[in-house]
Amino acid sequence: MTSAPATNTDAAWLVGLLQAGDSFYPTGSYSHSFGLEGLVQQGVVHDRATLREFLLLSALPALRHTDLPLAAHAWHAFGEPNWNRVGELCGLSSALKTAREARAASENIGRQRAELMANLRAHPLAQEFLRRATTENWPHSAAISAALEGRVLGAPLTAVLAGISYATLSSLLSAAMKILRLGQNASQSLLTEALAATPALIAAAEATPLEDIGWFNPWLDIAAARHETADARMFIS
Amino acid sequence: MRPHGRTVLSAQSFRAPYHLSKPYWDTATGTLLVQVVNPTAGILSGDQLSSAIRVDAAAALLVTTPSASRVFKMKTGTASCRQAFHVAAGGWLEWMPEPLVPHRGCSYRQTTTVDVATGGELFFADLLMPGRVAHGEAWEWNQLCLVTTVRLDGELILQERFAQTGESLRALASLAQSGLGACFGNAVLITNRPPDDSTWRSALHALQANGLWIGVSALRRGGWSIKWVAANGVQLRQGFRDIRRILAGAFPRLACDPRKL
Repeated sequence: MTSAPATNTDAAWLVGLLQAGDSFYPTGSYSHSFGLEGLVQQGVVHDRATLREFLLLSALPALRHTDLPLAAHAWHAFGEPNWNRVGELCGLSSALKTAREARAASENIGRQRAELMANLRAHPLAQEFLRRATTENWPHSAAISAALEGRVLGAPLTAVLAGISYATLSSLLSAAMKILRLGQNASQSLLTEALAATPALIAAAEATPLEDIGWFNPWLDIAAARHETADARMFIS
Repeated sequence: MRPHGRTVLSAQSFRAPYHLSKPYWDTATGTLLVQVVNPTAGILSGDQLSSAIRVDAAAALLVTTPSASRVFKMKTGTASCRQAFHVAAGGWLEWMPEPLVPHRGCSYRQTTTVDVATGGELFFADLLMPGRVAHGEAWEWNQLCLVTTVRLDGELILQERFAQTGESLRALASLAQSGLGACFGNAVLITNRPPDDSTWRSALHALQANGLWIGVSALRRGGWSIKWVAANGVQLRQGFRDIRRILAGAFPRLACDPRKL
């Protein structure tokens, strides 16, 4: 082994990211399926095979083209800090989600994450972000708040994007276990396969210019829109 | 808008390949109907199309096209289209071109920016075919990127970037069992009226049947996104007619028949 040993500084941000990405961390993400329940209701996703297709064809591209590059740009903007750019990214994050529930899920999780950073760490960057978001009416965003967490913790960009990837995929699969006949081993095998794709996605997202951010799955957006008025549902989104 | 209450084209300027039709005043809906015609066979490599439409206060305009826009195969190079729409307070604009048909091997980028002032209203629709389905050609473009940006009183409320590869869309269509001929409709409704969609949203959702998917969702403020996926071009157009018919109950200008020209 020739890799450099981890330092105490690495350990500090690493445990912080682990805390922020844990299901024990009260972000409220457990109450969302991020459109998956809508696709299950439409009969598109109904077993492990179709869930796998959904992960590879929709969840990973959405990460690659939307949430990861948004977070990457926000991480750089928080580093300066360039508040105009942060506000612009908050607006863009909201505008990219046309389904109301998907947008509300991101905003609620994003607000909760930012408030937790400000309260638990009493960090001036998080406090200033919350102040500006309130006074300038910026919509909150899970991706932007993840970048904020990274800056507060001192985590490098790649680690922040890896944390977003893990949280997104594990949340989806956790929701899938509640609405499909899917066991823990099956979901972990899917998570392992999806996570194996994330290093390439992260590298691509880090190099994505602002004007190239955005991607959507028409069927997912439609299912998410219809989920808003579904007669019965388990998840908020 | 003139004192007699009719909308007029107060200024127009165009050059090849665009041509503007003689406008038609639709008395029943109080809407001026105009066709933008591209008399060439379609969009070719190197084409750089640009258009801008502004609707002033109290004016009402429906702009359409007479036929589908084909984007032809490109051995080299790309084509682009930039379109900008501005709607002033009290104005109404409907944009409903015939579908875009990207042929095998084409590279095309369309950038649409919409700016609506508070009090202005808009119904914007884009239709996309997967290719020349009758020839067995679908999802075979080289590059396709459709970017739509909508601002309300300067605030960004929607940005969509449709830039999937043909391969990924084919796979998604297969997953959703929409078939190889799946077509997409994407509409945005901006209005200054109270955000009550109870009279029409459920009716639009009830259209979903026989392979047609449709979903309506409220934007951050000031409007709705309406998306639909059809199994073929006929269903795409019929779905669009049904959407306009249902919405016309709340937005009477959508009853304007675009085929009167």
